[in-house]
Amino acid sequence: MTVVSSRRTFLKGAAASLVVPLVVPAAVRATVPADIAENAFLRLDADGLVTCILPTCEMGQGTHTGQAMILAEELGADWRTIRVEMPKQPSDPYRLPFGQMRSVGSYGIRFFHDPMRQAAARLRMILIQAGAEHLGVSATELEARDGAVVHDATGRSVPFGDLVAKASTLTVPKEPVLRPESERTLTGTNVPRLDTPAKVRAEAVYGIDVTLPDMVYGAVRLAPVFGSDVARLDPASVESLPGVLKVVQVPRGAVVVAESWWQAKRAADALDIDFTRTEHDALDQSALDALISEGLGRENVPMTLMRGDPAAALDASDHVIEADYAIPMLAHACLEPINCTASSTLERTELWTGTQGHDWIRMNLERELGITADQLTINTAFLGGGFGRKTWQHEAVQAILASRALGGRPVKVIWSREDDMAFGFYRQIMQARFRGAVDAAGRITAMSVRVAGPQMGAFLVRENNMDPFSLLGLVDTPYGIPNYAVNHAVTPVPIPLSPWRSIAGSFTGYWMESFIDELAHAAGMDPVAFRLANLPADSRAHVVLTRAAEMAKWSTPAPEGVHRGASVVGSYGSFVAQVAEIQIEDDRVRVSKVYAAIDCGRAIHPGQVETQVQGAVIDALGPTLRAKITLDQGATIQSNFTDYELVRINEAPEVQVENIETGAPLGGVGEPGVPPLAGAVCNAVFAATGRRIRSLPLADHGLA
Amino acid sequence: MTSFKLNGTPVETAADPEKPLLWVLREDFALTGTKFGCGIGSCGACTVHLDGEPVRACSLPLGAVEGADITTIEGLLADTANPVMTAWIELDVPQCGYCQCGQMMSATALIRDVPDPQDADIDEYMSGNLCRCGTYNRIRAATKRAAELNRT
Repeated sequence: MTVVSSRRTFLKGAAASLVVPLVVPAAVRATVPADIAENAFLRLDADGLVTCILPTCEMGQGTHTGQAMILAEELGADWRTIRVEMPKQPSDPYRLPFGQMRSVGSYGIRFFHDPMRQAAARLRMILIQAGAEHLGVSATELEARDGAVVHDATGRSVPFGDLVAKASTLTVPKEPVLRPESERTLTGTNVPRLDTPAKVRAEAVYGIDVTLPDMVYGAVRLAPVFGSDVARLDPASVESLPGVLKVVQVPRGAVVVAESWWQAKRAADALDIDFTRTEHDALDQSALDALISEGLGRENVPMTLMRGDPAAALDASDHVIEADYAIPMLAHACLEPINCTASSTLERTELWTGTQGHDWIRMNLERELGITADQLTINTAFLGGGFGRKTWQHEAVQAILASRALGGRPVKVIWSREDDMAFGFYRQIMQARFRGAVDAAGRITAMSVRVAGPQMGAFLVRENNMDPFSLLGLVDTPYGIPNYAVNHAVTPVPIPLSPWRSIAGSFTGYWMESFIDELAHAAGMDPVAFRLANLPADSRAHVVLTRAAEMAKWSTPAPEGVHRGASVVGSYGSFVAQVAEIQIEDDRVRVSKVYAAIDCGRAIHPGQVETQVQGAVIDALGPTLRAKITLDQGATIQSNFTDYELVRINEAPEVQVENIETGAPLGGVGEPGVPPLAGAVCNAVFAATGRRIRSLPLADHGLA
Repeated sequence: MTSFKLNGTPVETAADPEKPLLWVLREDFALTGTKFGCGIGSCGACTVHLDGEPVRACSLPLGAVEGADITTIEGLLADTANPVMTAWIELDVPQCGYCQCGQMMSATALIRDVPDPQDADIDEYMSGNLCRCGTYNRIRAATKRAAELNRT
């Protein structure tokens, strides 16, 4: 290839870049003005590097690599020259509409796939037009390939970066012409992740690693009971300890600032502080459980979903199965403890943190401290895990108040693991009562589900008490149930809650797939055969379950001592079926293998789909076996990984994953691997022991 | 004043001898590859080598490393062909990546002690290193690959 032009050196600088708007779908924009939405952008610099400003953070899900692949393929660039960045300025033009600046809902790929392709196609089209003028040939003879506009007939080419100036004078085409499927040769392959080398070489900067000149450290001392605040604070009790610079009162407690975090933490522990009493100072776990249980039999609960006449069908059946299910609260326990670094004065605030929720930080800071968007800059670092926890960041308030108390000096507030475990934003505690009936042919004739517990997504409820954070996985069940009802008896809890990977799916998947297993047993049928008989034959659930059963050789007997359980759940636009193989050794469940088949529409990066599903299985297995958050005297009992036990490598099953493409639209990948796991494992426990596990974790049943 | 060898270089520090090595490394020597995860030696994110043996820096007071030879993840970077890092990159192990420096420190000691580790060896040696993203399947494969690179 002959490079006919190289003017990079003349084009360096801010002005030498080409910007194409990235238009998010109207449905996404919801209530915000289009002009803001259209300012999210794709930028080509004169050095040939492409930057895409998107609100998706990198918290382990590999999104930035997948997004780079989609852009590179459509543009005709080397994927390694693509960078995805998060906007720093909530108020600048380079942000998505308010409410969309977040990384949740397994959105990263499925949500931005089409807008990214369209923006990349527009950019490619003007580059080709500029290339045509530059090379003096017709645009129809040109191709965009490997970061250059190429004229195959003469072997001449010009790098994208050299066309920036010319292309900047051209009009961005309104209608992007996308590449045909035959030219989509990058997506669907396993390129190396963009962030791996930095992470392996310890060069990736997480929030907790951010280091600023003159920075000092803050440790927190917060009220153990939710809703409590500071009653009395004696800063002098620790001000003479080594390294201590300041004691700063914040909502719910205090931040102690010191030269070293270790000094700050020691002083925070020694701080003389009293907290106000609350009406739930005596709340313990059994009282909380009873509070939720009340909803199971509550009268006059509005109906969210009603199909056919389930009450009549259940009355008419002489084979009604009834079962109550429960799940406890869970912590997210991201391995990187909660932290935020702030440099703040009354006029100007700059934050450094790993966050899933720019907009929530911004909203919270405006509400609590009156900081407006134009006064705020957020620098997003890598996240050492998110799982839903890092959508809420009250530690930003703590860091800001601490920095202001020191005249704007940068303060890095770090929560200890014990703080992280104790101070909440938990997966909600929920219960459910299932009633179902099957006929002689093994068909589910009716089902009713009463959900009881908090309505974590109350702000999303539009009609019929339909809260996606509580009821997805039930109202959208793939099973063909002619008579079906779902409703939710709402009981608020005085504990801060936060979405936990797959949100409602983390418990509705477990409940529904366990209860389906109960119905299969009642019908005297094989659990997989029963499911397939009750799923529409052309459904994605049917396809993935069929494949997972094949992978596990379900139709042949398991080896001696091995027991199998199956499960299939759709969430976030994808379907995942899992078959768990367990052994029971000394009354302890050991999950030795999990077979998973996923249909996420199209696997942009099959290797990352595999590893996300593997990770989701491990993530879901912790709370299936042992992990739970419980209360005593209004405060959390668990304190660290010693009493909130998660899965380690010695308990990690081999997880075999297959991608199935049924031609469905793109689905999410980060979360859909979670919902099927607990059901698959508990159904295997039933196969092994005859015991139906209707609450988690298995340790509560003496099985882990 | 505490003196020790850090990644091959003699160093000394006036930090409080009770200060855990983790915070000395991160705050006083700006070596942030050693991570804070639990503070009680339970998660392994802060794993470093003390005289070649993996230890939890969060639970090791500075005073205890007087005269010792400490190696952190940054100390492994000098060897550009480091088999553990090579295998970790080759198999694209990290998701969030936060635990991986600790994982690699443990794996480095494992493949030295057990040149051809099987699953049982890996499970035993590495179970002190928690990975919240659940990358264990790839950690097993990468550890075996690193051992293979180390043998050849």
